[in-house]
Amino acid sequence: MSDPVLQVDNLQVRFGTKRGVAEVVNGISYELREGETLAIVGESGSGKSVGVLALMGLLQQPPAAVTGSVRYRGRELLDSSPKAWREIRGKGMAMIFQDPMTSLNPVRTVGYQLTEPMALHLGIKGDEAKQRAVELLDMVGIPSPDTRVSDYPHQLSGGMRQRVMIVMGLACDPDVLIADEATTALDVTTQAQITDLVAGLQERIGMAVVWITHDLGVVASIADRVHVMYGGRFMEQASVDDLYATPSHPYTEGLLGSLPMPGSDRPDKLVTIPGLPPDPVAMPSGCPFAPRCSYSDGARCTQEVPELRVAGDSDHATACHYPLGVAP
Amino acid sequence: MSDAVQLDRLAEKPVSRTRETLQTLVANRLAVAGLVVLTLLVVIGIFGEAIAPYGINDIDIANRLQGPSGSHWFGTDDLGRDTLSRVLIAARVSLQVGFIAVGFAIAVGVPIGLVAGYYRGAVDSVLMRMMDVLFSFPAILLAIAILAVLGPGIGNAMIAIGIVYTPIFARITRGSVLVVSEEVYIRAARSLGATDGRIIFRHILPNVLAPIIVQTTLSLAFAILSEAALSFLGLGVQPPNPAWGRMLADGQDFFQQNPWMGIFPGLAILVTVMAFNFVGDGLRDALDPKQKSVIESRGQSA
Repeated sequence: MSDPVLQVDNLQVRFGTKRGVAEVVNGISYELREGETLAIVGESGSGKSVGVLALMGLLQQPPAAVTGSVRYRGRELLDSSPKAWREIRGKGMAMIFQDPMTSLNPVRTVGYQLTEPMALHLGIKGDEAKQRAVELLDMVGIPSPDTRVSDYPHQLSGGMRQRVMIVMGLACDPDVLIADEATTALDVTTQAQITDLVAGLQERIGMAVVWITHDLGVVASIADRVHVMYGGRFMEQASVDDLYATPSHPYTEGLLGSLPMPGSDRPDKLVTIPGLPPDPVAMPSGCPFAPRCSYSDGARCTQEVPELRVAGDSDHATACHYPLGVAP
Repeated sequence: MSDAVQLDRLAEKPVSRTRETLQTLVANRLAVAGLVVLTLLVVIGIFGEAIAPYGINDIDIANRLQGPSGSHWFGTDDLGRDTLSRVLIAARVSLQVGFIAVGFAIAVGVPIGLVAGYYRGAVDSVLMRMMDVLFSFPAILLAIAILAVLGPGIGNAMIAIGIVYTPIFARITRGSVLVVSEEVYIRAARSLGATDGRIIFRHILPNVLAPIIVQTTLSLAFAILSEAALSFLGLGVQPPNPAWGRMLADGQDFFQQNPWMGIFPGLAILVTVMAFNFVGDGLRDALDPKQKSVIESRGQSA
């Protein structure tokens, strides 16, 4: 197997706030290889976005404090210079942002924003860059790309803008693409177009993708592996098929139970998980999910943080004292 | 009918921001009037000597302190000089002071605001407290104090007025930068590897230009007013060169005998300042998207 493109080791992010220290990301680790798609799933406030912003060095420090290790092709990023960061951003790792309505500069044309990373990283400028921008727009199925390239963002629809965002990320053929809720704001049809597009590109240029979402439906269609995040930790990590077939963490079970699955033999009523995600300023001392977990024993679960342990298959791990499907 | 109009609108090629702004501006009658007056003033400023019927220092004691007449449209002053000629020629120095002083304020204030707003923290505190100190003085008092140090004269008056208006530009720029630098597209630009300088000048600056442009036209009006005040006090343009403020001061002494001597330079100041203000208001309406949507929805309901 090839060396991982991206290695994240015990990444932690804390924010100093007026109420105290917010522990937003609490030691997450993963590896990403060429051509692989990793989905990070979790509800709002689980630390997904902050985790990838830290990866790209886009958090302002302070108030954020980022510790741990992020290695891109073996090179440590967290203590590297601003210049080294800039060289990797856009070229090595690129990011697609959540909201297409606010992620494009309103006073710059689509063409300007698409050609900027090319000028920065590849030294491609002028007509050649514009030509490439037109090709990129064509690739994502934007009609009449040669006139659209001189349009301003407000002249495009939401779906078109998201596609522009995606090709901005892809302009320099990055090794790693981070898609932070890239399709959440879009309707299902456009969403499918975009996921197909990314999958196609991935096959062509061998790029690795980190797909951040809270939509388990999207995950099933695109990801190789899934990491379920809660309270700034990974609760469970497994291959997509494994996770859906045999979830071993109560939280994953709850998430899957809250998905409508037409045609299944499940009861009609969807299951909800009671309670709210933990407050990052006052994290529970034990398992972050314990206060909402129906399996919690009220003792070990609330005192001892469960480590990620292999459960079932070798690449299936769970952070639970009492994983499902395993006799205690 | 209205459907056809709507379809026509859809078929139109999308208009660029600049064109849209100009269209909104042209639709505003006061702004157009202001623009016409300003164009006229610039022409007068450039060709003043050629237009003026008399020289600025052509003394005609026999006809001193006269009211408006066929040979002296604006009358004459206490030395029998033609007021019209002096008002026309003084336009140049007023505009010069306005443009150079405001240019100075922009050149210094905008970069300070950009840097303070982008980097925040200690940089922001130090720069903006310096601006606050300048801002805490009444404008004219500060200008007089600076001129007291530099010595009177038109060049120094420009510098003094420029310094007085620098904090306004720094503040306006910083305020907008604080908002814009939080936008996702700035983070997106950074995520693509853009440098700080690039982000500040290529991504943030174009987004904060609108309030700066509006402030520029309004500050031009105030700068011209300040120059008039300084010249009135004898700290700006030195005699025998004409300046509107200076002429107003001279006219004051003869107000009983010939009020026209002060009225015409006063009117010149009034018209110029109002013209700049009209254009400034028009630009604000054209450049401020919130204001604009209000106007548009009004237009549709009508």
